[in-house]
This record gives sequence, C-alpha cells and structure tokens, in this order.
Amino acid sequence: MELTEKNRRYWNPIIETLPKERLQQIELKRFRELLRWAKESSPFYKRKLRGIEPEDIQTMEDVAKVPMTEKDELRAAQEGKEPYLYGDLLAVPLEKLSVFHQTSGTTGRPVYFPDTYESWQWVVEVWCYILYGAGFRPQDRLFLPFAYNVYIAFWQGHYAAEKLGCEVVPGGALDTQGRIQKAKEVRATALMNTPTYGLHLAEVAKEMGIDPRRDLEIRKMICAGEPMPEPTRLRMEELWGADVYDHIGGTEVGGWGGMCTEKKGRHVIEPHYLLEMVDLETMSKPVPPGTKGVTVITPLCRRCIPLIRFNLKDVMLVMEKPCPCGRTSIRVDEIEGRVDDLRKIRGVFFTPAVVEEVIRSQFPEVTEFETILTQEGVMPVLTLRVEFDPSIGESQWKELRGRIRERLKIRSNLTFEIDVVKPGGLPRYTLKSARFKDLRKR
Amino acid sequence: MEYDLRAMDREIKLIEESVRRLRELGGGIEVVEKNADSILAFTYLLKRNISDVLE
Repeated sequence: MELTEKNRRYWNPIIETLPKERLQQIELKRFRELLRWAKESSPFYKRKLRGIEPEDIQTMEDVAKVPMTEKDELRAAQEGKEPYLYGDLLAVPLEKLSVFHQTSGTTGRPVYFPDTYESWQWVVEVWCYILYGAGFRPQDRLFLPFAYNVYIAFWQGHYAAEKLGCEVVPGGALDTQGRIQKAKEVRATALMNTPTYGLHLAEVAKEMGIDPRRDLEIRKMICAGEPMPEPTRLRMEELWGADVYDHIGGTEVGGWGGMCTEKKGRHVIEPHYLLEMVDLETMSKPVPPGTKGVTVITPLCRRCIPLIRFNLKDVMLVMEKPCPCGRTSIRVDEIEGRVDDLRKIRGVFFTPAVVEEVIRSQFPEVTEFETILTQEGVMPVLTLRVEFDPSIGESQWKELRGRIRERLKIRSNLTFEIDVVKPGGLPRYTLKSARFKDLRKR
Repeated sequence: MEYDLRAMDREIKLIEESVRRLRELGGGIEVVEKNADSILAFTYLLKRNISDVLE
C-alpha cells in the first residue's frame, strides 16, 4: 500500500487524525487499565486509590473523581522507603529496570524515575511523534550539544531521532566553542538544545567569528528542558536562520507535547497522554479551552512507575481552533509560568515569564538577564539585572535602561529597578535556567 | 479508515505469539530471552499505536 502525500506528514496517520471522540474513548479505556495496574502493582497507589474502582470512570468528567498526584507525594513515597531509590512508587520488580533518570531537584529533593526496557521504548516512541511532527527526517544530521547526564530530555531526543533514522551526533564532552566547531565540521543540519543554551551558542559562535546563519548548516532546531516563550523562539529563528520548535515534557511524565511545522501551539501526544486543565483558584474545576488553567497530565502507557493525574503546576491554555496540519489532538499554547512562581506584588499578580517575553521580543541588545525580588521594609522590590551585548557602548545604557523600565511597567504594571552588569557577569545555563530569584525571607 | 487495521492487528498478535514461543524454546538462554523481550517491547508499542484504535 502506497503512503499518500497527506499521510507522509504524520508519524502515525492512523492515530493522529482520529476523531476527537475516538481519541477520548481510547484515553478513558487506557485510564481505567492504568488505574487497575496501579492499584495492583504500586504500593503508593494501592493506598491512594483505596475506594476508587476503574469501573467508576466512564466519562471524562469521572476522571476528576480520582485524586491528583503531587510532586511532594512522590518524594515522600521514595524517601527512606524500600526498594532503595524508588520506594513505594515502583510497580515492577527491580531486576526489570534498565534505565535511570531523575528530576533536576530545582524545587526540592530529586525524584528518581527508572524505566524498564519496555516503558523506555514507550517514552522514546512519544518523542518520535514530537520529532516527526516538527519535520525531522532521516536526511537530518542532528547535533546534540549536551552531556545528557541523569536528565531524561536529551536521552529521549537522542533515541527517538535514532529510531526515526536521523544521524545523531552527540556533542557532550566538548566545551561550547568545541561544540560549535564540531557542528560546523560535521555540517549538522539540525540541533536539539535548551532555549537558553541555543542563545548562548549563537553568542559564542559570533565571538568566534562564526555567523550561525551563514557559516553553519543548522536549519531545524528543537528545544527541550525549559519553557520557551514565543519571543524567545522567534529570536532563536532570527539568530540561527532555522525553524525552531518547542516541545513540552518532564522527567516524571516524558515528552507529552510538541509543535508541528505550523508552529502554532503544541500538540498533545494523544491518546498516549490524557490532558486536563483545572481552574487556577480551586485547583479542581475543569476550565474550558481558551481559559488559562493548571496542567494535569496522565501518561497512559508507562507502567514502570505509573502516574495518575500528575499536577504539573504549569499554567497554560488549550487552544480552541483546529490546527491546519490536520492533527486532531488537543493543542496547548506556550507555558505562561508555574503556579509556584506566581507572586502577588503590590497587589498585582506577577509571573517571571513576562520579563522574558518583554526582553526577548523588544531588546535584542540584552544578551542575558535575571529578575531579583527583595524586600525593603514592607515594600517588595523587583530588580532586573541585564547584560548588554559588548557592542553597546556605555553612552547608550541610560536610554536603554529607561526604555526597559518603561516597557516592563506597561506589560506588568510593576516598577523595576534596572541594574546593568558587565558582559559575562550573569550566570549562563545549559539545562534549566534560574532567571528568577525570590530573596525575601519567608 | 483507509488502512486494514484488523489485518495489521492480526499480524501484530502473530508476531507476539511467535516471539513468546521462541522465548519458551530458548529455555532461559540469555541471548534468546533478552532479544525476545526487546521484540515484545516493540509489539507492545504496535498494539498501543495500531491495535488499540480498533473498536
């Protein structure tokens, strides 16, 4: 049977174009199966799901009868519990495990996430949907400028690209300059990195006299590891002369969404995942498409450590219109921030994502920045520390500071102090950036 | 549906059965067992990607 031109666009045309109702039926069936498995095999869920029967879940509304799972519960279920490292979360015998990963520990003690060979292949498979959707093909020579370490993102990307048939070049044991040289030497056509590191790579390349647009052959890039606001994505496209795509995922749940070549939102990899959006205030009421909510996700086929209704704490919204690409899955807009990062300052809700949005979309002169929240007496003080491109002379600093202050005020309704830091004075990140620091005493 | 999902599902099941038989015939030999398990991980994916779509 010949593959049609239309179906060539999809990793799996059978699933990716299924009617929404059918996707939901499959998700509900899988959700019930996962509940059954978790109750039988995971000591953590045996306790947590007492009194809940899989047969009770017949509609999407019924899913909310099952309690959400919070990250703190995962930590508590592992700490000091046997079998060592995984504790009450593990649903398979230890000898079945073949892969180890852990969370970054940015918000507390890391959580350890192993996989069996089978569950790891599933994690890789969902990334194949993401990569293929973003236009990655066997003709691509993909360079990964990272030491993958114990974090899942780039391992998933590496194995998925390999499965797709791309030629994968790992660039871990090199410094940034060495990575740029290697990407040039092998004539890499695609890149996978964090948005922060993508910007840094371009900055270092320019210092080396290499223009990423002209002197490198990278024409496609996929980002992982941290949220990427649209202005940052556009800036990356400008710097690299490449199509830049975002994906959403995490250690606990794997990569659950990605941008297609339309670059409008991120498709949820249904029916491998069940996505819910709940109300920011009540944290329980479902919100309709087009309304901001907190993301709750269930990876439906990963059995090693089952996760049910995991609260990602990411704030985003489900897009209302269907995607021109023909995929029928739910699409979500960019991550607007994390519930944990939301602060009420002088009566105004503030999320650090607005700073990135303003800086990346309006101030190409800024190469790096960080936002610091302190307290002076009873007044919270927001300070933005910025680093300008070395080509910006000190005579221009005053005007730029004033303009940044003004634009931030318009966007956030808050007044910022602006401090200029000498080039190279702010930290550079390769994985998760920490550009917001709340230094107030709790 | 433009694809014959029932026929595809039948083939997936046949592969699975065949690999399980091979695993038994191996009588615990590592090379058979581990390679058979790897194939079963992929039939698991085929079932999730193809067979589950069947009503």
